[in-house]
Parts: sequence; structure tokens; C-alpha cells
Amino acid sequence: MMIAIFLVIAAALALLFILGITVSRGLQISSGSGLAGQIQPIDIEAFRNLVDPAEDEYLRRRLTAAEFRLVRRKRLRAMAAYVQVAGRNAAVLVRMGQAAMTGDSQTTEAAQRLVNSALLLRRNAAFALLRIYIALAWPNSGLAAVPILHGYERLNGAAMLLGRLQNPAAPVRISAQL
Amino acid sequence: MLQAHSFLWNYLWVAPNVFLLSLGLIVWKRGLSRQFPAFFAFAILSAAGGLAVFLADILPLVSPEQFWYIDWFCLLIESFLKFLVIAEIFSRVLNPYPSVSRLGRVLVSGFGAVLVLLGVLAAALSRGDTNFRLIAGYHLLEQTVFLIECGLVLFIFLFAAYFHLSWDHFSFGLLLGFGVSACAYLATWAVITNVAPSAHGRVLLDLLNMAIYHACVLLWFYYLLVPGKVVAKSPIPLPENTLDVWNRELERLVHP
Repeated sequence: MMIAIFLVIAAALALLFILGITVSRGLQISSGSGLAGQIQPIDIEAFRNLVDPAEDEYLRRRLTAAEFRLVRRKRLRAMAAYVQVAGRNAAVLVRMGQAAMTGDSQTTEAAQRLVNSALLLRRNAAFALLRIYIALAWPNSGLAAVPILHGYERLNGAAMLLGRLQNPAAPVRISAQL
Repeated sequence: MLQAHSFLWNYLWVAPNVFLLSLGLIVWKRGLSRQFPAFFAFAILSAAGGLAVFLADILPLVSPEQFWYIDWFCLLIESFLKFLVIAEIFSRVLNPYPSVSRLGRVLVSGFGAVLVLLGVLAAALSRGDTNFRLIAGYHLLEQTVFLIECGLVLFIFLFAAYFHLSWDHFSFGLLLGFGVSACAYLATWAVITNVAPSAHGRVLLDLLNMAIYHACVLLWFYYLLVPGKVVAKSPIPLPENTLDVWNRELERLVHP
């Protein structure tokens, strides 16, 4: 009996998720405009500072172990917030890239590159968030969030190129917001 | 009306299979069978199997034991083809995106293995609704297949939604149909296998299953015949004098 209840609840939840995704997909198709406005600006220098291992090492030397853990957790939370925004921006850029794929071959190619870079960033963001949350539990462990930074810089370049190809008059409109 | 071998019962058993067979023929006629070979095979063979089981049910010369062997055989073929269709759709979703393609394949393999284990565990914990091993085994297999199918479809939906991957209209409709039917079937087979409802309750659950399958076949028809919503795009005219900039930027991107 218990197994039946468990399976019925699991099936109902799965059905809700599937129908929810279907509805949100329909809404996304109908609200394709204004995507660029959804991109949130990120201070890349501040993020670079947060993920710099030298900064961590400096703090480790200067602070007591308890203080370091406290500061490190605060820095990790800030890092997580940046990564979440980067991941959300990547999702918007995926949609923008897909919307631009109906243009000429060069624009399509640039859009394809943008989509792939954005997907890579979204994947890296998910992995980085996982690592950050693990590091929050063990603040003394090493954390390599640097690949995210590099991915974001590449994505910035790809978005700039797509912006230039689509609208040469305003070449860095999208990338400036990143 | 709501009893075995009523007109509604017979209609809900036969009609979805006839519709599915004609859907397969439309897919073939439109040249989509090369793009969706697994679904084409599923539509033809599953529909033929469903009709064969119906005939085995109504023909007096088929013994109950023979009926269950036929049903078993059709279930195995249909389940195998369903998983092929799900793999085919996932491939179609992933192929345009090399940056997440490998991750998707690794994750779906791992998740599939977990689902198989869960299915086996659920089957081991299920008490079975009858002493006839042939029938109880059939019900357990249904429960296991739909648990795995439901999990896989949910995984693909979540993966595509997380990465905002775009799907072609028909693939989306196919997976939506499989998802809805798998969720409903999982729930009903879990009840049939573990709760052993009364004969009338069993008939109602069968009718519900058949009605949902009918709705899913009609959903596939809709996604095949009605074109997807196309968002009107206003292309920005690109002046010729920017070609040099394009080339420079493309060079910079290819050779950073």
C-alpha cells in the first residue's frame, strides 16, 4: 500500500512538473521580446577579486581560523550570488542567440557560438554553485571558481560579436550590460 | 457504459490504435520516418500490437493463457520501442548543442541506471495483485516500465528547461504525450499492482488508462498536423560597410 501511495504521489508530481514546463515554454515563445532588458549587470572585477586564490591566502594569513571561516563564508555567499546572476544571464543569452539564428549565415554562426558559450557557462555555473555550497560547509577547502570567470569573459566576447553583427550601429549594447 | 466490453471500452481500445497507425502512415508519407525512425516503428508496431491484443481478447479460440503470452510479447516490444523513441527525441534535442551534449548523455545514462534500480526495488516491494505469476509479472513489468519512462521523460524536460534548449514542435509534442501517459499509467498500475482494486474499480482504471492513451495519440496528431507558433522576427538590415568589422570580429573569435 505504501509503495502505491509513494508511486502515485511521484507520478502526480512528475505530471505537474511536465505540464508546468509545457506552460512556461508556451509563455516564453509568446514573450520573446525585451530579452536584453532581462540581463543583469555584473561587476566582473569584483567577482575576479572574490575568486582570486591570492586574496584567500592573504586573508588566511592575516585572520584567525575562526575569523577566516566567517569571512570566507561571506565571500562564498557573495560568489554564489554572482554565479547565480551569471547563470541567469547565460540563460537569457541562450534565448537571444536562438532568436538570432534565423538571420544570415554569419549571424547564425555567431548566434550558434553565443548559444554554445552561454550553455557552457550555464553548465559551469551549476557546477560552480555546487562547489560553492560544498565549500560553505567546509570553508577551508580549495575552490576553483576561476573557470566560471574565464567562461564569462568568453561569453562577453561572443555576445559583443552577435550584437555587432545584428546591429552595427550599437555594437556593444548587450555586452556592456554583462 | 463503464464496464468491460461495453461500446466505450471497445472504442477506447481500438480507436487509439487505429489513430496511431494512421499517424505512422502520415509520418511516413511526409518523409518524417527518416527523421523519426524509432517513432515510426513505434507507431506501426505498437498499434498493430494493440489491435492484435484486442483480437486475442474477443476471439473465442484464443485461450486466456495464450492471450497473456500475446500481451506479454506486445508489451516487451512496445516498451523497447518507447525507450528508443525517448532516446531519439533526446538526441534531437541535444545534437544542435555540442557544449551540453556530452553532459546530457552522461547524466541521462546515470539517471537511467538509478531509475532501473528504483523500478526493481519498487517491484520487489510490491505485493502483486494476483496469484497467477503470468498476470502478476505483467503488472509488475508495466509498473517498472512506466516508472523508468516517467523518470526519463521528466529528466529530459528538466534538462531542456534548465538550459533553455529549443525543441522542434513535433519532438516536444511526442515527449509531452509520452510524459503524460507515463505519469498516468504509473499511478494506475501502482494502484492495480499494490492495492488490488475490486473488479469494477479495475475496469474504471483500465478505462482511465485507455482514455488517457487516446488523448495522447490525439495530442501527437495535433503536434504533427498543426504547425508550431512562429515568432515574427524583424531582421535588422546590415549595411555592406560593416563586412570588414564582421570578418575582423570572426577572426578574433576563431583565433583569440
